Amino acid sequence: MRREVQATFRDPFTVTTLIAVPLAALLVFGFVLATDVKHMALGVHDQSDSSASRRLIADLAAQEAFRPTRYATREALDRGLVSGEIGVALVIPPDFDRALHDFVIGGPPPEIQVIYDGGEAVLAGNAEGFLRGLVAASSASLIAEEGASSRRTAGAGGEAPSGSMAPASGPGRPGVEVVMRALFNPRLEGKPFMVSGTFGFVLSFLTVLLTAVSIVNEKLTGTFEQLQVTPATSVEILLGKILPLGGVFALDVVLMVLVAGFVLGVWPSGSVFFFVAVSSFYVLISLALGLIISATSATAAEAVQKTVLLSIPLVQLSGFAFPIRNMPTIVRWASEVFPATHYIRVSRAIYIRGEGPIPLLPELAMLVFFGVILMAYALRSIEARA
Amino acid sequence: LSSVRHSFWSNVAAVAYKEATIMRHDRALIAVIFLQPLMMILLFGLALSNKPRNVPWVVLDESRTATSRRLVEEIYLTGYFLPHQPVASYDEGRGRLARGAALAFLVIPQQFDRELQRGRPRVQLLVDGSDPLSAARVSGSIAQVAAELELRPEAQSHWPGASLREKSGIRTTGIDIRQRFWFNHTLLDRNFFLTALAGMLLTNMCLSVTSLGLVAERETGTYEQMLSLPTTPLEIVLGKLVPYVALSYLVLAFTTLAAGVFFGVWPRGSYLALVVVTLPFVLASLGIGVFVSTLARTSAQAVFITVFFILPSFVLSGVLFPYQLMPPGVREIGGLFPLRWYQIALRRIVARGGGLGDVAFPAMALVGLFALMLTLIRWRMRPRLG
Repeated sequence: MRREVQATFRDPFTVTTLIAVPLAALLVFGFVLATDVKHMALGVHDQSDSSASRRLIADLAAQEAFRPTRYATREALDRGLVSGEIGVALVIPPDFDRALHDFVIGGPPPEIQVIYDGGEAVLAGNAEGFLRGLVAASSASLIAEEGASSRRTAGAGGEAPSGSMAPASGPGRPGVEVVMRALFNPRLEGKPFMVSGTFGFVLSFLTVLLTAVSIVNEKLTGTFEQLQVTPATSVEILLGKILPLGGVFALDVVLMVLVAGFVLGVWPSGSVFFFVAVSSFYVLISLALGLIISATSATAAEAVQKTVLLSIPLVQLSGFAFPIRNMPTIVRWASEVFPATHYIRVSRAIYIRGEGPIPLLPELAMLVFFGVILMAYALRSIEARA
Repeated sequence: LSSVRHSFWSNVAAVAYKEATIMRHDRALIAVIFLQPLMMILLFGLALSNKPRNVPWVVLDESRTATSRRLVEEIYLTGYFLPHQPVASYDEGRGRLARGAALAFLVIPQQFDRELQRGRPRVQLLVDGSDPLSAARVSGSIAQVAAELELRPEAQSHWPGASLREKSGIRTTGIDIRQRFWFNHTLLDRNFFLTALAGMLLTNMCLSVTSLGLVAERETGTYEQMLSLPTTPLEIVLGKLVPYVALSYLVLAFTTLAAGVFFGVWPRGSYLALVVVTLPFVLASLGIGVFVSTLARTSAQAVFITVFFILPSFVLSGVLFPYQLMPPGVREIGGLFPLRWYQIALRRIVARGGGLGDVAFPAMALVGLFALMLTLIRWRMRPRLG
């Protein structure tokens, strides 16, 4: 047992990897999910070139969500979309100014045309909501001014939306206004979601990979066989093998909590001890999976390939980055048999919603169930080889 | 000089032939090369999506008017939601949100009816912000439905063509936005992922196969044997890379065909540009693989270093999350990975129908990264050869 602990810590490379890779994963994932748009290139073909159209463009640029560039022809604008120079194109028709004036005195509303680069699906989806909100705010003030200048009151002045989430209910137009509030994450930041999911990613993929590869490596160098001729039982060997690794992974969890808190500003809303306890138990499941993979692989390369083939669907279907809810029914059922699914659910509940143990009992029971089965299976696969 | 050059290329060809022969007999490799694309295509084609579906939501309707019921009905018709669950009190709704049993909680207050008479009705929406992208999409679509809800249909149509406009469902107050999504009309995430899928697969293959293969050869002593032959190390490395380049094109063809046949995502632009821009990408990725193999002493280390490169290249390059929204600094770091430039090129060619001219810049960036990798490899290999 002591031999294993020493062996694990003697190799500076292994120690570095064990600590650096999870932390790097945390930082990398922490920054990538965004629900807003910033400095998005907006191509404008302003056929009207009136004071009203210039105001609209200035309003779109004001909040730094969009960075407008003017295009002289419609062809150039289309070209900009195809080449990826711009992500959104705005066409303001020649009669925009007059249509705005007509609208105030009871005519149809003025029209503008917006074309998004749908190839960037997420970006276009975010931009749509933002642009809609900004245009609504801008049009409210344009119409109010136009109404004042033509000495007609165009209803009560619309209130500017406070953010992209609250589209303006414009002046004199029916429609229900929605006052929106997001619980647990009022500014809809991506970090808490990704951080709480990254624990699942690290503990389901990296730990399995590290366990499998390091044990296969031992098998290759013959250390494992040597151990098996000693009077130690296979359970003892198993524990001696995986407990040091498990200890390091548990330490990783604590380090990740600290780095997420100090660097990314994301602390668990629930109990830290409860989170670390659940995570440490989940580490056992990963260790068992790693053992099973290593027992069935002859070389390190084979172990890697097996782990990757197993882990990609396991991690992706566990709701780590893409919600399970959005998946087809059969896939949703299938995802329930992955331990990672249940762990990530628990991790999110503790981290974001600050949930305690009692409401999470069904999920925790599933984790224990998987843990017992996988540990038993890992034990058998080791004993079978003895 | 010409005879030297002749022997250089024939040596490269000899090594390439030897490599290709070994590869043909590597069953695990073949499995990775064909199983992985298939698995990823199924995952990204069928399972993973950011588009909200099956969203559980609760409604507290204290006004019980026909309009409030119509609002709830219209929201349901957006297709994002499960049938709503009515709740009896505000606390019950909050409780469901806190437990994660509902993603959105719509409160239609008692005074909704009175506000309706005065023309400015308001409702409250609470969303669970723990999954920010879903929260933003769901609240955005609810706000949009609410803003467009016709409160008194007969009072609306005071201009011709109004009813037509209502049907198109695209409207904001004041200025009408006629919007279109080019290249991906329904904003399917599937198209976004499948467009760049070849990049992910090639990164995986080029990095892991080369780094693992070269380290394994060093471990078994094959590499030293080859060094004793009258071939130079550069010839050996180049000869080893040739079959991988061929294999990469095979994977590209397979992926393109599968995405096209199964999901109708065919490249819209120039196939020639696709073939051309893939070469510097594959070379740069193979270069990273070779570089990793020079850093690692054992295959376990090679695996970890490879993961260390693959993980950020997937996350920061923009194949899964739009790189345009990443904070400055993080975005630039992503530019160091070949996958960033290749996915930009892929989106221009496959999604937007671009040609050679559109991918000139990403191609140059890839050539630059390849040159950088070659420099690094030469620097790492020099001491060993001296």
